[in-house]
Amino acid sequence: MTTTQKKVRPKPFLLPQLCKACGRCIEACPKHCIEFGTDIDPATGLTPVVVHEELCNGCALCYDACPEPYGLMARTGELDAIDMVVSDPYSAFGAREREAPSAAALPDRRVPLPKREPMILKGNYAAAVGALLAGCRHFFGYPITPSTEGAELMANVLPRLNGVFLQAVSEVATVNMMYGCGGAGTRCMTFTSSPGFSLMLEGISYMIGAEVPGVFVNVMRGGPGLGNIAPEQGDIKLVCRGLGHGNTHALVLAPANPQEMLDLTMEAFDLAFQYRNPVIIVGDGYLGQMTGRVTLPSHLTAPGMPSWAVCGDREHRRNLMTSIWLVEQDLERHNEHLNAKYARMAREQQRAECVECDDAEWLLVACNTPSRMARGAVAALRQRGLKVGLFRPISLWPFPIDALRPLLARVRGLVVVEAGAGQLEDEVRLALSHAGVAPPPVEHVRRHGGVLPSEQEIVDRLVALEEASHG
Amino acid sequence: MDSVFYSRFERHDHAEGLKGLATHYCAGCGHGIVHKFLADAIEEFGIQDRTIAVSPVGCAVFLYYYLDVGNTQAAHGRAPAVALGHKVANPEAMVISYQGDGDLASIGLAEIMQATQLGLPLTFIFINNAIYGMTGGQMAPTTLPEQKTTTTPEGRSRFTGTPLRMAEIVAQMDAPVYVERVALFDNKQRHRARQAIKKAVRLQMENRGLAFVEVLSECPIHWHLTPIEAERWVKEQMLPYFPLGVKKDTSADVEPWFTLGAPVFEPGAVAAAIGATEEPAEHFGTAFPSHLDPHDVAIKFAGAGGDGAQTIALLTTRAAIHEGWDATYIPSYGPESRGGTSYADVHVAAAEVLSPAAPAPHVLVAFNGQSLEKFGPQVQPGGIVLYDSAVIAKLPALAPGVRATGLPFTQIARDLGAARVKNIVALGALQAATRLFPAESFLASLRETLQSQCALLPLNEEAFAWGARAFRETIAPAPT
Repeated sequence: MTTTQKKVRPKPFLLPQLCKACGRCIEACPKHCIEFGTDIDPATGLTPVVVHEELCNGCALCYDACPEPYGLMARTGELDAIDMVVSDPYSAFGAREREAPSAAALPDRRVPLPKREPMILKGNYAAAVGALLAGCRHFFGYPITPSTEGAELMANVLPRLNGVFLQAVSEVATVNMMYGCGGAGTRCMTFTSSPGFSLMLEGISYMIGAEVPGVFVNVMRGGPGLGNIAPEQGDIKLVCRGLGHGNTHALVLAPANPQEMLDLTMEAFDLAFQYRNPVIIVGDGYLGQMTGRVTLPSHLTAPGMPSWAVCGDREHRRNLMTSIWLVEQDLERHNEHLNAKYARMAREQQRAECVECDDAEWLLVACNTPSRMARGAVAALRQRGLKVGLFRPISLWPFPIDALRPLLARVRGLVVVEAGAGQLEDEVRLALSHAGVAPPPVEHVRRHGGVLPSEQEIVDRLVALEEASHG
Repeated sequence: MDSVFYSRFERHDHAEGLKGLATHYCAGCGHGIVHKFLADAIEEFGIQDRTIAVSPVGCAVFLYYYLDVGNTQAAHGRAPAVALGHKVANPEAMVISYQGDGDLASIGLAEIMQATQLGLPLTFIFINNAIYGMTGGQMAPTTLPEQKTTTTPEGRSRFTGTPLRMAEIVAQMDAPVYVERVALFDNKQRHRARQAIKKAVRLQMENRGLAFVEVLSECPIHWHLTPIEAERWVKEQMLPYFPLGVKKDTSADVEPWFTLGAPVFEPGAVAAAIGATEEPAEHFGTAFPSHLDPHDVAIKFAGAGGDGAQTIALLTTRAAIHEGWDATYIPSYGPESRGGTSYADVHVAAAEVLSPAAPAPHVLVAFNGQSLEKFGPQVQPGGIVLYDSAVIAKLPALAPGVRATGLPFTQIARDLGAARVKNIVALGALQAATRLFPAESFLASLRETLQSQCALLPLNEEAFAWGARAFRETIAPAPT
């Protein structure tokens, strides 16, 4: 054996300003060649360890004992030239360019759907079909009446389209699966109902903070607490004003029939990705359970991949999904960015339907199933000669104030019809107030607990109001 | 220098001062060592581009400052759910979920239990240092008996429970293929920890299953010890509660298994999967049943769960829509799957159904006394009531002009050999009594519904015919 063949093992190298002086390397070194130093490092105020190279046999055990990524490491040829007291550590390690390139967005494709006969579907099924046509192939959810049929349809159909149905351990897990899947740039959704939606709110706040798209279909039921499984509209305050903690908003769409359950759910996916934000579909128990005729759209969507996704490839490696902005100014800037986005949504996404509003002296305001009773009442009241119209907000947030405002000039009063204790009325009043409109008298017809306002109740209320206004 | 660590930690306070190269961890903390082992494993396997690290809440919340991979930061306790979301979105991605003891073993128990129960190929790194670090030294589920923390100032007592042994709990599950507890307190343990983490990453790469590595780690600051004392504390205090070693390893016996095909967006396949058809439905009638109402006919079906009221409500709705009318059906039932109340409201409208509820129906079909009692009086004057006379003895007071007909639905169905078709008997009677649509229309709807269970069709068609005949014979008995 000749000495020239002996392998030379590199000895440790340490930039003193990156040593936190924990001393774990001292314990690790079998040759006792590292010790606590005595000189205070001017950059850190700590006393870094000192390596006595002459005693070191290059065993490398100290590297694994050092908790710092750029702490103790093997001295390579490149590092030999480094002055150990260099003040700029970057010069030691080199400002390595990040290798990961920037990703280009892969656009969604609209694919023509061959003509098919209308289908007869329950509202929950219709929403699920809308999601499938929107290219959603990932579903996460937890069973809860009266929304569960949506999940059941997805469980049935998704495996046939190589999609994934995952029944989560809770609604809390559901929303966080959506956070991961949506953060991967993938279209995903859930069906839930009021108590389950409450449980999802923290996660929705995270999604909004991290700008993760996802679609939530909340088929509202009676509350508070367990309440019952009958239709109510008791989550309007949550979806419009209370999407978890912090400065949050999301588009909220309120269908009124199975067709809209399909159409709005389908569109919700495009909106979620357009704004990088969750979108909420609010229905009520009746809408979820109601079977009706549904016409399929002329196209479906084959989703692309956004540039911001964290999807596990080279192009997207530099991406990060987080809602953390530790530096106050950074978080303020992020909130300003979100506010600008909310303002854009408020400008671009107001939707409403006006029924017989042009000459209306009384305006009913109602959404979801109660709007159907209100519509019946409009027809009945018109027959009696009362000039009544229905203003139906389809977007609850943003409230479609731009469509309501011009109707108010000749209106003697608004009558908010809802299956709840005034949450829709609060939205109406708030929208009027923000718009600086002196509101006409705001009246209401309300039922709770799963009882819906009936057409007759609305008619009676309007007749009484009309009589009072003449008295 | 090659490394899976970012060359500069830009996300660490904008890399101000030395932060661009130093972690945020306290001196002597074990997290940094585990980060290095993880980075080395990713480097060695060449999977940097397809790795996604899920950062938890807790001291490792800023894992994304350091690892140059795809990064997602999860809510407290939810990293396993977030990791599952990532994995099913991109099965080729190597998803590493990294959590501390408060995150994984307290607030996130449900999520880690589900993830380990499912057993998808994922890598779980669990840092157990018996304390909450980031929030400042509170009791963790893994805090040792007698251990003092800011929320157990007198030491952890019986009242606050005993340490949770996650590696053992996870090892009891069927799905995980590899579970080991390792430590960092000396060279030998660090070597084992490095190997364990490497293996946990490799098993995901090989698609064999879920791997879970619990690492006993030091928190010198909140233990009020020096880093060297902290290493000893792990060895002397933690090991008796948290024995090291492999808790489960079936990885050699399992084949790679987790694959997902590419999602299908082909329009024909999608249309078929949702059951859309090109075949227009047959229709048989021409006029709206305006003898019942000029615009909108309301029908209520009521019985106990299992009576089949919902089925015939749906059949009626399908028939109505096929006939070209607008129709809605809403069910209402109690919490029981069978035996509770079960009723359904159907509307058939010439133009558009407005209110889908039927508080004052034109027609009621009742399967039991309770239903008839409750809904009979709501039937509109001049309306029609059909009820099962094999079950119901007493008729409540009805509105003027309501025509009530009792027919023994259950008896007829039994005579046909299947009590469960009593609802179809009732549907036949409904058709005969109301002439809502032609019988063919109902039968087409029945055939469409039973197309996957053709064997049941003759019985159902017979039941329908018997129901219609029973009504006709009751109203105008056949000459004897």
